[in-house]
Amino acid sequence: MAKITIDGIAYEVDPKLTVIQAARDHGIKIPHFCWHPKLSVAGNCRMCLVEIEKMPKLAIACATQVAEGMVVKTQSERVQKARNAVMEFLLINHPLDCPICDEAGECKLQDYTYKYSIGYSRFNEDKVHKPKRIQLGPNVMLDVERCIMCSRCVRFADEIAKQPVLTFTQRGDHVVLTTFPGTQLDNPYSMNVIELCPVGALTGTDFRFKARVWEMSSTESTCTGCARGCNINIWVRNNEILRLTPRQNEEVNSAWMCDFGRLQTFKDVNSEKRLSGPLMRKEGILSSVGWDEAIAAAASELRLFKKSEIAGLGSAYASNEDNYAFQKFMKDVLGTKNVDFVRHLKEGDEDAFLLRADKTANTRGAEEVGVKPGEGGSNIDAIIQGIKNGSIKALYALEDDIAAIPEIAGVLSNLELLIVHSSIQNETTAAADIVFSSSTYAEKHGTLTNFQGRVQRIRPAVVTLEQDRALDGFAMSRWDKFASHNDRWGRPIKKDARPSWRIVSAVASAVGGKMKFNSADDVFREISEKVQAFKGLNYQKIGNTGVMSKTASRAVPVV
Amino acid sequence: MTSQNPTETSGKTQWDNLILPSTPNLHKVETYISHGGYEAFKKALEMKPEEVTDEVKKSNLRGRGGACFPTGLKWTFMPKQTTKAKYLCVNGDESEPGTFKDRQIFEFNPHLLIEGTLIACYAMGIPTAYIYIRGEYAKWIKMMELALADAYGKGFVGEKILGKEFSCNIYIHKGAGAYICGEESALMNSIEGERGYPRVKPPFPAQYGLWGCPTTINNVETISNVPIIIKNGWEWYSKIGAPKHPGPILVGVSGHVNKPGVYEMPTGIPILEIIHRWAGGVPGDKGIKAVIPGGSSTMVLRGDQLEGVKMDADSMKAAGSAVGTAGLIVMDEDTDLIKVLTRLAKFYYHESCGQCTPCREGTGWLWKVLKRFEKHEARMQDIDLLMDIANNIEGNTICALGDAAAWPIQAMIRRFRDEFEKRVVHAQAGTPESVAV
Ligand SMILES: Cc1cc2nc3c(=O)[nH]c(=O)nc-3n(C[C@H](O)[C@H](O)[C@H](O)COP(=O)(O)O)c2cc1C
Ligand code: SF4
Ligand code: SF4
Ligand code: SF4
Repeated sequence: MAKITIDGIAYEVDPKLTVIQAARDHGIKIPHFCWHPKLSVAGNCRMCLVEIEKMPKLAIACATQVAEGMVVKTQSERVQKARNAVMEFLLINHPLDCPICDEAGECKLQDYTYKYSIGYSRFNEDKVHKPKRIQLGPNVMLDVERCIMCSRCVRFADEIAKQPVLTFTQRGDHVVLTTFPGTQLDNPYSMNVIELCPVGALTGTDFRFKARVWEMSSTESTCTGCARGCNINIWVRNNEILRLTPRQNEEVNSAWMCDFGRLQTFKDVNSEKRLSGPLMRKEGILSSVGWDEAIAAAASELRLFKKSEIAGLGSAYASNEDNYAFQKFMKDVLGTKNVDFVRHLKEGDEDAFLLRADKTANTRGAEEVGVKPGEGGSNIDAIIQGIKNGSIKALYALEDDIAAIPEIAGVLSNLELLIVHSSIQNETTAAADIVFSSSTYAEKHGTLTNFQGRVQRIRPAVVTLEQDRALDGFAMSRWDKFASHNDRWGRPIKKDARPSWRIVSAVASAVGGKMKFNSADDVFREISEKVQAFKGLNYQKIGNTGVMSKTASRAVPVV
Repeated sequence: MTSQNPTETSGKTQWDNLILPSTPNLHKVETYISHGGYEAFKKALEMKPEEVTDEVKKSNLRGRGGACFPTGLKWTFMPKQTTKAKYLCVNGDESEPGTFKDRQIFEFNPHLLIEGTLIACYAMGIPTAYIYIRGEYAKWIKMMELALADAYGKGFVGEKILGKEFSCNIYIHKGAGAYICGEESALMNSIEGERGYPRVKPPFPAQYGLWGCPTTINNVETISNVPIIIKNGWEWYSKIGAPKHPGPILVGVSGHVNKPGVYEMPTGIPILEIIHRWAGGVPGDKGIKAVIPGGSSTMVLRGDQLEGVKMDADSMKAAGSAVGTAGLIVMDEDTDLIKVLTRLAKFYYHESCGQCTPCREGTGWLWKVLKRFEKHEARMQDIDLLMDIANNIEGNTICALGDAAAWPIQAMIRRFRDEFEKRVVHAQAGTPESVAV
């Protein structure tokens, strides 16, 4: 350990650290643009200049290693003057188009201008003009005038995404960020440069000009794009998800997420094809019905079959709570042992970084909470076989478009009863007798277990008729009241959807079983009592970054 | 512009050139050998490498690339035990305005440079050297390539040289026209095929240089001094010129002089003597308004400030400037200094690599403000603004180009403030004062 002093206070720090790291570890923020804890040191922005005793010049905190006895000043007059100077330099050629800039509100340059700049400009010359609206790749747009040449995006492409296509050309204040000829920024992680970019130079083709940052609320959640379960924030305005951003979790996704997860996973939540309220087949046509009618019908229909004639498919897309309640309903209430779920492995579609071959969020959780055949019961293959040969007559399927799978699609017409939970219209709902409109991952509380065995939270970011926004995650938006009780202005569209655990509990009760769950928390409490993997866990312990389930192996690959 | 022996040195001892002797055809390897060439290298090969370094250290040779850094000391920074490759880069990027001395070596004494390179490599245990030459020097690149081929042909370069264990390969690397690639770490990036961006230091090149390996960078003229030291011994060498900054030095004189050119002389010659005796004085016997003594980055001196200022590190420092590359730019009494400074500012603006904020943004700003002075459109407060911008760049950048851009501005304002004041818009008159151009 090295003894150093920062702003008059003594600290013992790891001698391998740089000044900026040591300061950060002790809660001292040294302003910076180009430095990023996940990237190599570039030292180009000069914002982190600090005074170090016995050094004649100011030193950049990001590239200066601590040393025994070092005395660092981060607030001295010289330091503040240097920061003023760097800010002034950065702003002279900046377009200052904050009023139409997506970054405004979460812009380092803006924030630091308030904190570290002199507050007026001495620049009386013409600004340098540079290219705007450059498509760097399918998902990322560049405005070179806003770029402060920090090289974070370049280093991300080189070091993290391993697709070294970004570079600077030209010199001086004419430097232009660009892609090498014949290349584009199209790696599976390309959009991470958008958050990395400290200004509004890099924006998402998808989100550009959609919203001001302060109009949205953000909710901590987990991406459902694959079994990695990258930690995310869901950004919502007027009850519509507008973007997802990665949230740091060293054990899972570092600070990144893939473009697929970012762009595709919320499309279903906002989809035109969303179901609102249950459906029942009447005279051959699926028609809207009330919840009570659908629940009663499901119960009475199910009662017509022998235990062995019923099969249940949980879902790797559904939460632990949903799957637990579902298997309990199947096994304890209906008494069938024919319980399983469909795996969605896309072999070869994984990589050495984040992406997993398993394209669902909760395969491991579904298995662990008990979505598997009871003793002597049928697994997925046997269930398909049973439907084919007529021994299985009724199928209850959770949150998975099973009809899109050819082997299953071919046998569904043999069924006498098909009950389905789904949030959108799909091939499975089209074949169903009863459809319950279930909440998406963005509309309910719950947990998912990723491939490592890490149990992570999902939270309602979007309001349904039944469920308010997660209030614990209340973030920054002055429009946070949108879609809440006290929202007198917004007219958000609220979907009539319920979480699957609530729906199956209701059907179970209607069948005459005892399943009294009032909240996802209730379900989880029972899981934590009954299932070894979850022993001792609760939502509080899981918190924002998750905890390992008890069955997880110790060796966890960390990115 | 060939080297020339001054004829009118007012009773001073005749100076016999060491780096640029007037021997005809010295660039040919046979001529070079017949005049004692490569003898110093052979002598070095009989010494221990440490002894060679020690000799250079004791000679007090200081770098001719701009910073006057002690060469022998620099060589000792190279790790002796290392599993990595080691490199020598000989810096011939020579792009600083007012500097054109290394070119003379390429043209008139290329084998001296090759011999120096070999000795330096032997002293530091380096098997590979790059001679980096600015791309615009197409003619001199060719000449160096020819000389190097001859040196290979004679067996002075290559494997197991002269039957000894020592092997050394030398490569000539062409620059692509960027001043910044003369900065040692940008030079290494350039050789590596990367963008010519200076690196953040530390780590210094001796730890982490070319391809991450220990590397020494020396100027062409610096290296060309080495055979002279080895041949004649450190004691002899250290008695040439100014004791703390000894040796022959190539002074490039340009601007308002009758005989511009590169003059070899011992260090420590008074600037006025260089101008009047060596470079033939100022045309029309005009007075000297200003002198930039060591290449465009060094601080300008007033003409009335030159008395007793000599071309050596200490004397220049005391006068408030630096030897730099000894590129002396003379400006007579009719010179428009604002125009000169604006042109210099444009150069630094054009050459800033654009990597770090203060230099990238500040150099352009300085130039734009100066343009307004040039056009009589500046305001009085713009003088202090210029000073402030320069101060905000100086010391806050990745490499010394930022400083180099700031110093001329600072010095010019400090020493010629009246020139700026004359160029300010006159609120009442509305017409600028006329200024001789
Ligand atoms: C912007 C800039 C340009 C430079 N250009 C040159 C050059 O052209 N030639 C040179 O020898 N040194 C140049 N230098 C200095 C080198 O970085 C380095 O200090 C020098 O080559 C070391 O050689 P020496 O120790 O023999 O003087 C430059 C430095 C800066 C900051
Ligand atoms: S990048 Fe930041 S400072 Fe620049 S226009 Fe956008 S919000 Fe404003
Ligand atoms: S685009 Fe953004 S991240 Fe990339 S160099 Fe410019 S400012 Fe930095
Ligand atoms: S000081 Fe100028 S030339 Fe040197 S690294 Fe910074 S921007 Fe580039």
